[in-house]
Amino acid sequence: MDVKPNFPMQFQQQQLPQLQQQQQQPEPQAASTPSTSAGQPAEAPPKQVALAMDRLAQAARLIADVRIGGDRLLEALFFAAQSHQSNKTLQFLLKEDASMRQHLQDLRTVGRQLEETGVLNDSMKSRGNSWGLHIPLVCPDGAVVAYAWKRQLAGQAGASAVDRTRLALKAFADQKRRFFPHLEDESEDQSTEPGSKKLCRRQAPLTSQLDELGDFKSVADVLARLEKEVPNVKVLTYQRRDWLKRASSLPSSGNENSIESPKEQSFHSLNKMRAGPQAAVASERASVIEISFPCTFRAVVSLHPAGSIDPDAVAFFSPDEGGSYMHARGSSIYHVFRQITEHAGIGLQHFLGVGSEIALYFLLNWICSYQTLFTKVCSKCGKLLAADRKSSAILPPVRRSFRQFYPVRESSAEANSSTKDQVFEIPGAYHIGCYTDEL
Amino acid sequence: MPTKWVLHWHPNPGSTVNSQILNEVSQCAEAINGVKDGRWKATLTLLKPNLRDQSQPGEYPRELLGISLPEQPNKYYFILRGPRIVTEADSSIQVIMEKLQSYKSRIALYFEGYQYQLGDFQLRVGKVVSSHSENLRGIVLEVEYLPISSMEKASQVLGEFVDIWQEAVLKRSLPGSFMHNEPNLSEYGLAVQYAYVMAQLFASQSTQAVRN
Repeated sequence: MDVKPNFPMQFQQQQLPQLQQQQQQPEPQAASTPSTSAGQPAEAPPKQVALAMDRLAQAARLIADVRIGGDRLLEALFFAAQSHQSNKTLQFLLKEDASMRQHLQDLRTVGRQLEETGVLNDSMKSRGNSWGLHIPLVCPDGAVVAYAWKRQLAGQAGASAVDRTRLALKAFADQKRRFFPHLEDESEDQSTEPGSKKLCRRQAPLTSQLDELGDFKSVADVLARLEKEVPNVKVLTYQRRDWLKRASSLPSSGNENSIESPKEQSFHSLNKMRAGPQAAVASERASVIEISFPCTFRAVVSLHPAGSIDPDAVAFFSPDEGGSYMHARGSSIYHVFRQITEHAGIGLQHFLGVGSEIALYFLLNWICSYQTLFTKVCSKCGKLLAADRKSSAILPPVRRSFRQFYPVRESSAEANSSTKDQVFEIPGAYHIGCYTDEL
Repeated sequence: MPTKWVLHWHPNPGSTVNSQILNEVSQCAEAINGVKDGRWKATLTLLKPNLRDQSQPGEYPRELLGISLPEQPNKYYFILRGPRIVTEADSSIQVIMEKLQSYKSRIALYFEGYQYQLGDFQLRVGKVVSSHSENLRGIVLEVEYLPISSMEKASQVLGEFVDIWQEAVLKRSLPGSFMHNEPNLSEYGLAVQYAYVMAQLFASQSTQAVRN
């Protein structure tokens, strides 16, 4: 047999290894119709992306054809070696050869088209296009960055969905509080495991204690109780605009000249420092509570709506920080306080679930437990500093447990005793790695 | 204002300080995930008064230590060890002193090296060279905890960090160790809230280096 079929395909298969990865690629996207009326060379990016995806799929199909053709040729050769029907095999081989060449030709065309549109090289990436979309790129190692733009859009949609959900939840919670007040005394049992004895012991006193804590009618009540229970704390209230002024005027770290000396007195005297008639009004419209322990931290709690006792955000900062980014939704420049802020957000949600009337009271007491931030060792590993695996920062125990954070009676008092005997149990302190959600 | 501790390298008896140790120490800082941030430089100068009139020697202090620190580039600090005073001046005081020829610098030490960021900690690893010769006189390490500025609160945190650091250094089995001298700050009039830690420790370090 004098057939010398060309076997260029092996060589070419090696030449285009990256395109072989397209075999696993899913269907190309149906792109949104381009808004521009540009001609062929200046198509809108979604159209370009769609075309590129089409061509990649085409390339994949062609490669599959090439592979099958190769198999067939090998089969034919094997058959030819075995049998002696030379004519039939010859015809077969010629036919396969022709179809193989055609496939390879098509593949070359598609490849050229893809190269022109910048899929197989980086030329598109350097050309910034105003839509912020990325042409799918086939990297030398075979990975396809085809869905970057889709991921980007999906991410943005997801982020806005999260925000909208949060707002919706808040709106619903407000309405529920207003129209269904009898549904509010549910204690948070869902997150605890039913079989745990320790938790059962806690749940019984909770509801009775909630009743006995009495009504906190206003921020002033809460703060008065707090100041009685926590001796070192400095608590101040502000309206939102005043807080912004104060935050901006706080000396930032490294600046030795302090512009404003820290106000030592409690919130009563702060109100006195304002103009007289505005004093009583100010505490009613307080929307920001600042809790500070000198040299340890400064926590900012925001209330919504102003004057109510509903906390809606909390953030921790260094006592030396200052600037307009210091507010209840801001974040500190230091790792340790950023971590605490994150954990406090979860704690806030937990306390809101326990009961909306006492949430602020519990939250403020829990915040005060952080006064031992730099001195109390971790309750699990016994050390003060530990490295956080995610950020590789070395941090003190930044997590304080809040699920078991309830006031307990100091002495076994009578049923009608005043609530002055109640103090909060000191929560355990944990490193990020030592903390588990059941704590 | 962040709080700092300064540690100096104490070589084992019989071995000397060399740049190999400095490299090892730098690698140690990087091994615990420190991110190299930049260079730093501080200087310590021993000044002696240039007395024209020898008849009144008692009025002037016999020696002055002048320090310039990287965080405060436009300030210059003086320490008077006898009466234990630290004072702060503008950095142009050096020019003034030169012009007046009132104080002459006897020995000057340069501390320079790289600084590393480790979360909320900042580490400065540096070598000590004197102005006269290029020999490595010592190695100094400065640890800073950025979020809080009170020495008492930070002392526990810094202590534990130094322990972690010592452990990391021990693993490399270098001939020597870092030592930290607790400064007795109450003896100093706190004219300058910032420089006293550095001052005290640089001073002890410099006397050691000078003795070498």
